[in-house]
Amino acid sequence: MAEVSLRHIEKVYPHAGGKRRAHKAKDGEKKGPNLKVTDEGVLAVEDFNLEVADREFVVLVGPSGCGKSTTLRMVAGLEEISRGELYIDGKLVNDVEPKNRDIAMVFQSYALYPHMTVRGNMEFPLKLRKIPKEDRDKKVEEAAKILGITQYLDRKPKELSGGQRQRVAIGRAIVREPKVLLMDEPLSNLDAKLRNQMRAELIKLRERIDTTFMYVTHDQTEAMTLGDRIVVMKDGTVQQIGTPQDVYDHPSNVFVAGFIGTPQMNFYDAELVREAGGSYTVRVGDAQVVPSAEKQARLAANGVGSQSITLGVRPEHIALSDEGQNVLNGVVDVVELMGSTVNLHVNAYGHDSVIVAQAASLMEHAGIVKTGDAVSFSFSGNTVHFFSRETGLNLE
Amino acid sequence: MKRKHILSWVGTAFFCVLCFIWVLPIIIVLMDSFKSRTFISLQPFELPTEQTFVGLENYIQAIDRYGFLDAVWWTVFITIGSVFVILLCCSMCAWFITRVSNRFNRAVYLLCVLSMVVPFQMVMFTLSLVADRLNLDTPWGIIIIYLGFGAGLAVFMFCGFVKSIPIEIEEAALIDGCSPLRTFFSVVLPIMKPTYISVGILQTMWIWNDFLLPYLVLDTNDYKTISIVIQFMKGSYGRVDMGAIMAALIMAVIPVVVFYLLCQKHIIKGVAAGAVKG
Repeated sequence: MAEVSLRHIEKVYPHAGGKRRAHKAKDGEKKGPNLKVTDEGVLAVEDFNLEVADREFVVLVGPSGCGKSTTLRMVAGLEEISRGELYIDGKLVNDVEPKNRDIAMVFQSYALYPHMTVRGNMEFPLKLRKIPKEDRDKKVEEAAKILGITQYLDRKPKELSGGQRQRVAIGRAIVREPKVLLMDEPLSNLDAKLRNQMRAELIKLRERIDTTFMYVTHDQTEAMTLGDRIVVMKDGTVQQIGTPQDVYDHPSNVFVAGFIGTPQMNFYDAELVREAGGSYTVRVGDAQVVPSAEKQARLAANGVGSQSITLGVRPEHIALSDEGQNVLNGVVDVVELMGSTVNLHVNAYGHDSVIVAQAASLMEHAGIVKTGDAVSFSFSGNTVHFFSRETGLNLE
Repeated sequence: MKRKHILSWVGTAFFCVLCFIWVLPIIIVLMDSFKSRTFISLQPFELPTEQTFVGLENYIQAIDRYGFLDAVWWTVFITIGSVFVILLCCSMCAWFITRVSNRFNRAVYLLCVLSMVVPFQMVMFTLSLVADRLNLDTPWGIIIIYLGFGAGLAVFMFCGFVKSIPIEIEEAALIDGCSPLRTFFSVVLPIMKPTYISVGILQTMWIWNDFLLPYLVLDTNDYKTISIVIQFMKGSYGRVDMGAIMAALIMAVIPVVVFYLLCQKHIIKGVAAGAVKG
């Protein structure tokens, strides 16, 4: 267990074509999935700052190509750090070999040694550290017991299922009690049911072992359920760092708001109006929404004036209403029955709005809703988010 | 259904005949190796009779008079030594040039591939001169030359396999505490076992049967391989000891056949794996 400190970490991949190609690249030019290109090369991770506390579980989350795996690999020592400083347990480890960082890593593809048995795989890192056979056996047995793979110890990886292989990979990582346990999308190769099961097991495992976790995923559900804090990344830059609840309730910008939450947040073009008395109202379509007093205070504290904004509302905060004033009207495009809830995709004001309604409540109030039905909906002023139309930043 | 059955029988019969034609020369050599020298030329295709049968005399002659056992020893030494060096050096080289991608390594790879298409006859004159000047005319020296000739195919085959090994396995080894060398010997080498067997078999067959390179390079007064000894049995001024040649040929073939039978499973597996992986 240890603290991990990433200070102004950057990763630059030099231009493949050498200097001539580099001269062609203009400073600040965007490349690939909107990564910055400089004279030096492609900036995969830009000015990454993070302090991970001892025994904390931090999840790096973001879409493909956002630099989350690159960041984790820099912590592991598998990628060179172009700029910045990385400290593990207070020691600068920029130039320290991976084996000397006292870390362990679980890979998406399990990365088990195919020629070794499960026992061989798990005791390999201990053998390399010249730990006596009796201690090795004890540690392997303990880890196998925690992960429920005792009966597979003498099997080869090819004789195991995906979930069992991932358990072995985790076992290999925890058996030597590393200071930091790095996990690079460890559940991505599993089917949905097994992923849910393994996610729950990871939560339990976390309680049983004393270590600091850094976990990479593109699945925001994993990020929300596993992490003490989550780091949302996009195009090599950190968008927001916070607790799952904080990131969900107060997204820092439109990207975070859209990325965290399933189904994703609905966005509407709206007008934020600051009245003469200093109070705010929002006009969206034909409706007018009055933000809660708390939100009003935050907007006022930030000195937000009247302006065009992007209004964000989570699907579960939208309610179907009767026709009338202060409601938005639309036509149902798609009805998705999810079991206890129903996702209604409603076309309103040229946008696809998703409404999550409780199936039982929907039946009671609106009856069976079908594609093509006209519906009205509304939302409360204390559940909306205000984003600048120009910068995308949260105005609160 | 009936037609399919007939076709199957025709196919079987055709391939039986083909196999017989393929094996016939070996059978003739085997028969002749038990005949006296005179009758080998007079009745080469007939079975040994009471008059022509000489038992193991030709074999004893080949071993005693022409130093066949010495030749076997040097051939075994050169083959095992060369194959070992080729497997070790080329697998390490292939691993490095596949994992460390830069211009130099790409050039080395292309050079290796290019060496496969250069015919031996094109370089044999200069090679024998260089080998002579560098004192490589010994069984130890020829191993280095074989490494050069075997490297093309071996590096090409190893590179193909290394590309199919997920890099995460090697990264996991690095994190677990392996040095690059330990990663190679503890992780990469065992994974590459099928390719080691395939490359080893191909190189063994070639080096065991090779005549021209050892004939040009080796100091034949001191060191002779099996193929050189058989050539020497022809002697000078047209004097040919056909009996000893036939016996030597059979003795030379036996280790290769045994080796093939032992490795047959791996050869088929290697070919099949290559076919599936493309």
